[in-house]
Amino acid sequence: MSVILSLNDVSKRYGDFEAVKDLSFSVEKGSITGFLGPNGAGKTSSIRMILGLAAPTSGRIEVLGADDGRKVRDRIGFLPEERGLYRKMNPVDAVAYMAGLKGVPNAEGKRRARELLEAQGLGEALKRPMKALSKGMAQKVQLVSAIAHRPELVILDEPFSGLDPVNQQGLERMIRDLADQGATVLFSTHVMQHAERLCEKVVLMARGRKVFEGPVAEARAAAPRYLVLEGGLDAAGVQALPGVAEVEPAGGGFRARLAPGAQPQAALKAAFERGLDVTRFEAPEPSLHDAFIVLTGDDR
Amino acid sequence: MRRLLLIARREYLAYVRTVGFWLSLIALPLVAVGSGFFVAMMENSSEARQMAVLDLTGADVGAAFARSLDKPDAIRVAPPPQTLASLTELGAADAEARILVGEDGALDAVVILTPSGEAISARYWSSRANDEAGEEAVTQALSELNRTRALVALGVDPAAVDRIDAAEPVVTVLSPASASGGEVSLQDRLPGLIGFIVAMTLWSLILTGASILLNSVMEEKANRVLEVLLSSASATELLAGKILGVALVTLTVLAVWGGFGAVALRFAAQQGGDLAPALSGALAGLARDGLWLWLVAYFVGGYLMYATVFAAIGSFCETPREAQTLIGPIMMILVVPVFVLQMAMRDPDLAIVRSLSWVPFFTPFLMSARAPSGPPLFELAGTLAVMVGFTVLIVWLAAKAFRAGALSTGKIDWRGVIGLVRGDR
Repeated sequence: MSVILSLNDVSKRYGDFEAVKDLSFSVEKGSITGFLGPNGAGKTSSIRMILGLAAPTSGRIEVLGADDGRKVRDRIGFLPEERGLYRKMNPVDAVAYMAGLKGVPNAEGKRRARELLEAQGLGEALKRPMKALSKGMAQKVQLVSAIAHRPELVILDEPFSGLDPVNQQGLERMIRDLADQGATVLFSTHVMQHAERLCEKVVLMARGRKVFEGPVAEARAAAPRYLVLEGGLDAAGVQALPGVAEVEPAGGGFRARLAPGAQPQAALKAAFERGLDVTRFEAPEPSLHDAFIVLTGDDR
Repeated sequence: MRRLLLIARREYLAYVRTVGFWLSLIALPLVAVGSGFFVAMMENSSEARQMAVLDLTGADVGAAFARSLDKPDAIRVAPPPQTLASLTELGAADAEARILVGEDGALDAVVILTPSGEAISARYWSSRANDEAGEEAVTQALSELNRTRALVALGVDPAAVDRIDAAEPVVTVLSPASASGGEVSLQDRLPGLIGFIVAMTLWSLILTGASILLNSVMEEKANRVLEVLLSSASATELLAGKILGVALVTLTVLAVWGGFGAVALRFAAQQGGDLAPALSGALAGLARDGLWLWLVAYFVGGYLMYATVFAAIGSFCETPREAQTLIGPIMMILVVPVFVLQMAMRDPDLAIVRSLSWVPFFTPFLMSARAPSGPPLFELAGTLAVMVGFTVLIVWLAAKAFRAGALSTGKIDWRGVIGLVRGDR
């Protein structure tokens, strides 16, 4: 797959504060990439640099073949973290106006607006002013206004924030549809479940630095594995199993953290060999959330 | 350019579709017509004040004083009532005058003339404690009476005094700079007045139009629209589009008001007098030496300069309170031309006026007022060049400030603004 976006050793400094440090990553065409990190990790600063809204202090960015996002702004769709639209405009006019700024003729913009808004279940609200819409509806309109010009690269900054679970699901579907239609999606979030469900690849940021870039499965591998054991057990017996680094009571049994590289099968085999009274033995796959905590250093 | 026009169109339609726009559009003509009607009604309904004069001087000056005091539609001097006319003693006259101008009295005022050395003095009894107009009329009439008496005492014929008083001074103002090259007429004075009107229109346009702009940008920032817009258009396109849109809104208002004014002037010209020829002469004067071009250049340049500053300030603010902090210094600057304009009208070549004309923030106002008086070409071209150069600098700075402000969050002060603008985008 060809690379549609690349950052090379990009840094951004605001006075004495370094918001982004030596950031490098790339995004392949047609992929869905999660840009993850806790609040203040440098995600929004990085996105602004990609769009050309802020210049990097050092480093190089290439987006859609251009060295400045502003040169290809008509080919990018952007939904900022803090978003809004004109309160007195109706959704159709608002979407058509934003599409117009990206070069879509007004009549065509309105046609696409109606089509996309109806597909999002907003057919009833087409003529209502934005201020009369619910927060979820308004966010859908904003997302539609970011993609109505059919961009090649869609950048969504915290698109799930403020949405209820039903609307979050709808948005996930919309992002998948965009990718199916050939668009490349880069979205930032600090809610790992969305990234886990949507992304082929994630870039993890912490304190302005990239701490991981790669497939979701690879990120998960960075997280420690745990065993869940139940039955007539004591903490010392569990602690003595091979590979177990730490034990803590959990529910009716114990939760044991495995040392890096330790295999759950070895612990299970030893438990049987030692005749431990085990009624439940589980070695769940680590979640992206666990990996996120470890990789961003938030477990300290 | 496509984006700029699209932004301007949205801005224009957003205002034109509001009720407030239509109200402001018809408010001024309605107020103008209403005021004229009100003034006419006031004039028609005002009644002349009834006064009486009691002459206790023994010099038989009462009738002459009464003639001088009597003014049609303002003061009507009636013969004193018998109860007053029969009195010869000041104390009794005062007591009777007090009754006559009292609550149920028949008169509004009574003047009692008494001797005062060689002159004559007056005691003015009025129904109102604060009656400056009456006091002034009595003072003027008495001054005339005393002067005439003094001249007659020196042997001047009273008829000659009357003739001198009736004669109006005739002064013919001449200037080689007038349209005729000789006598100065209303036609020569009108371009100066038009320059003053241009300056004051610009001033009010900045206060209203630029405030609209400030609020519009502030609203977009508060509604979180600016960041989306900045990902779709450059800061310069956004800024220019908004300025153009709001300028079109205010120009629409001015055009409608101008239309009403033209109708009113046409009506006034049809009533006769020298207004019609003076107006056509003034328009010819504006066309002469390209004066109207200078006025348009100062007007457009001035509006652009201030509008850019206001829009940039708006991008840093989310609430009117925040805007207040930043807008204060600009408002103080805007007060200065109001005072200096009056000086510029009286004496366009005053050293202070000429000096301040070179300060870009004052140039559009002062030079609009001065241009009709024919200042040297280097002043016209020089001040315009400095203002244009300064405006370009302001536009460049404002575009940076606009982008920095649009993406900034939290409270902002002047130090913060300078810091944001100094940092690259």
